[in-house]
Amino acid sequence: MAPNSHPSVPDTFYRALLARFLIAVLEHVGETRVRLIGEPPPWLLRLYPEAEHQADFSIDTRTPVLHNFLHDAAAAWDAQNNPIARSGFWTDHTMFDEPRHFDALAFREGDQRLLLVQHHTETYDQQAALLQEARERALRQHEQNRGHQRTHQVLTTKLADSERSRDDLAAILQQLGLATLLIDGNGHVRFLSDSAVRLLEVPPSSASRDMHWETLLPSSKPDRLALQTLLRQPVSPRERARCHIETPTGRRLWLEIELHDDPRDSRHRIAFLHDMTDVYHLRRLLELKAHFHDLIGKSRGMTQVYEQIHDLARVDSTVLIEGETGTGKELVARALHQASARRTGPFIAANCAGLTDSLLGSQLFGHKKGAFTGAIDDQPGLFEAAQNGVLFLDEIGDIPHPVQTHLLRVLQEKEVTRLGETKPRKINVRVVTATHHNLSQDVAKGVFRADLLYRIRVARLQLPPLRERKEDIPLLVTSFLTEGRASMGKTIHRASPAAMAAFMDYHWPGNVRELKSTIECAMIHCKGDTLDVSDLPSEIHQTNPVPPAGPTLPTDERSRFVFALGQARGNRTKAARLLGMSRATFYRRLTELDLPPS
Amino acid sequence: MIEKKICMLGAFAVGKTSLVRRFVTSCFSEQYQTTIGVTVDKKSLTVDGTDLTLVVWDLYGEDEFQKLRRSYLRGSAGYLLVLDGLRRATLDIALRIQESVTDELGPIPFVALVNKHDRRAEWELTDHDLAELAQRGWPVLMSSAKTGQGVEDAFTTLSRALTQAPQPSSRADHPDGA
Repeated sequence: MAPNSHPSVPDTFYRALLARFLIAVLEHVGETRVRLIGEPPPWLLRLYPEAEHQADFSIDTRTPVLHNFLHDAAAAWDAQNNPIARSGFWTDHTMFDEPRHFDALAFREGDQRLLLVQHHTETYDQQAALLQEARERALRQHEQNRGHQRTHQVLTTKLADSERSRDDLAAILQQLGLATLLIDGNGHVRFLSDSAVRLLEVPPSSASRDMHWETLLPSSKPDRLALQTLLRQPVSPRERARCHIETPTGRRLWLEIELHDDPRDSRHRIAFLHDMTDVYHLRRLLELKAHFHDLIGKSRGMTQVYEQIHDLARVDSTVLIEGETGTGKELVARALHQASARRTGPFIAANCAGLTDSLLGSQLFGHKKGAFTGAIDDQPGLFEAAQNGVLFLDEIGDIPHPVQTHLLRVLQEKEVTRLGETKPRKINVRVVTATHHNLSQDVAKGVFRADLLYRIRVARLQLPPLRERKEDIPLLVTSFLTEGRASMGKTIHRASPAAMAAFMDYHWPGNVRELKSTIECAMIHCKGDTLDVSDLPSEIHQTNPVPPAGPTLPTDERSRFVFALGQARGNRTKAARLLGMSRATFYRRLTELDLPPS
Repeated sequence: MIEKKICMLGAFAVGKTSLVRRFVTSCFSEQYQTTIGVTVDKKSLTVDGTDLTLVVWDLYGEDEFQKLRRSYLRGSAGYLLVLDGLRRATLDIALRIQESVTDELGPIPFVALVNKHDRRAEWELTDHDLAELAQRGWPVLMSSAKTGQGVEDAFTTLSRALTQAPQPSSRADHPDGA
């Protein structure tokens, strides 16, 4: 052997190699018959046991795949280019049902038509493991994709449902016209209904933005703090917060905010905004009416009265209200009652004029059954009726002397004894009195007890006559027109400039009461929507009872009566009207003032 | 005894081997075991009074790793074309295989078998898909190798078609073509 040539391979080497790789070499000898070259490997004997004793045997359907491959092998053996045909893997079961994996090669070597059949173990397992892993991965990927698709489908459906529900609810909300906000846990407004946008006058550029509720509802600090507290707490249904805001255009709104928990998220709040502005204004008017009634006015005189009422409401002393008839003395007393701590107690008003001493005494202090003729039952007096409240005694200057004495004792002792009884009863009553008399003069004349005057005049409140606060006349006219519209059902909204001028020119001896009755009378005659001068009573626009020099009407009552009679040229009905009182009262006062009836 | 070669064809993991195992041994395993190459089983049955032995060639499933070797089809009298109801992609593969087989062997009998019917609620295949197959003239059956539902019926249906079909032209059984 030459030093550089390859060494020859001994046959034993090939035999060992074939045995190592579990290869059987078969030579095709015709049809399906083959001849085994070399020793038969044990695996072949399990498939074809006859190969142990005979070199030639037939490939049959015991190995159907190999049998089928003989067709492909034949094509390879017969081909000119001497190709190699491969069977691919197949699995056969031995007679003991053991799976065995094989593949086969067919080719021609010289004149020999060879068939190499290899029994695979590790090679097959390795390929199978690789393929298994790849396919399992593909299956897992597919499952994941399916999962994603299912999730996507579920979410898409839910989103569509959610959007539909949202649109439906939004449509219902818009249809209902509810001003609604949805406020999240950070205070940002997540939803704003069209009605809310209109109510709050939110600019279109801001409506879609994530605004904070404090920006949307610019309220006072107390309102804001109250809302903050409510928003932090779980709210019970229908609980409402009040809030006063000013819109971007300067409109002032009084809102009641109804808060609800969002059932979907406990951090969210649903707020319904109720516009209570009109209600607020009406309520305010009602409150004003209840507190001050006809005390309408912004003049300095009335402002001072308001301040005095405010101051006197804080104390519990007796008050004497002085002023001409028709200036609203009882209304001041009512205002005092409403503004004071006794507002929850009763307000009892009594007119002391024109009553006999026994009747007035019985009325004020009460009586026992049988105390006098006609006393058929025990009767508590007004003092008892006003327990814990206010007793308003109008025309205090007219009470008879015996009643003055009794009244003085009641005020001093704070106890009242019914007529016919001996045992006094404790009372807790604030006494407010009023008079148009000059009580100091009455004391000087001896018709009024000085000690009683000092007792009732602990505090004094002087009401200005209307002629001294004419700047309040337009306000009063507007107010009385409003009242008249409500009571008469007429649509009279204003007074003409001429009528207003007449009002301003007139000196109003009967004060506000006279103005009110004048307007009521004029509204009866008025046919249009504007009160004209022709609708006014003749004395208002035809005669000017006020001396041209201005408010020179005497402040002394006697002089005013004389003046009124003079203006009315002795006509007592006209004079009574000029003074804003009834003819009966006028006559009574004439007698009391010791004036001749004609 | 008539012996007929049939092939189990379809995409990978549609349950071909499981169907054969259920049919031949009445067994089932949840464990997926991929098939490499071919495994051949036999089962005898009687169809309409005719005794028949089915030689069932369980071929590997088609995918990017293994393509159908047409020589395996040689001598087949019919085939079961298996689909996985859970994977719509196996329908496309089935359509392609059916065309290949028809090209190779002509219009031999077959049954389209939609497997994994025990998970019907999860199927990607829709009734519309199945209706389309039926419109193509395919005999479509449902099966579950897991429960055995429809398995026997599928093989019997195919066997009946085999016994009624005209005998295929005889092929040379001699590798040298003699």
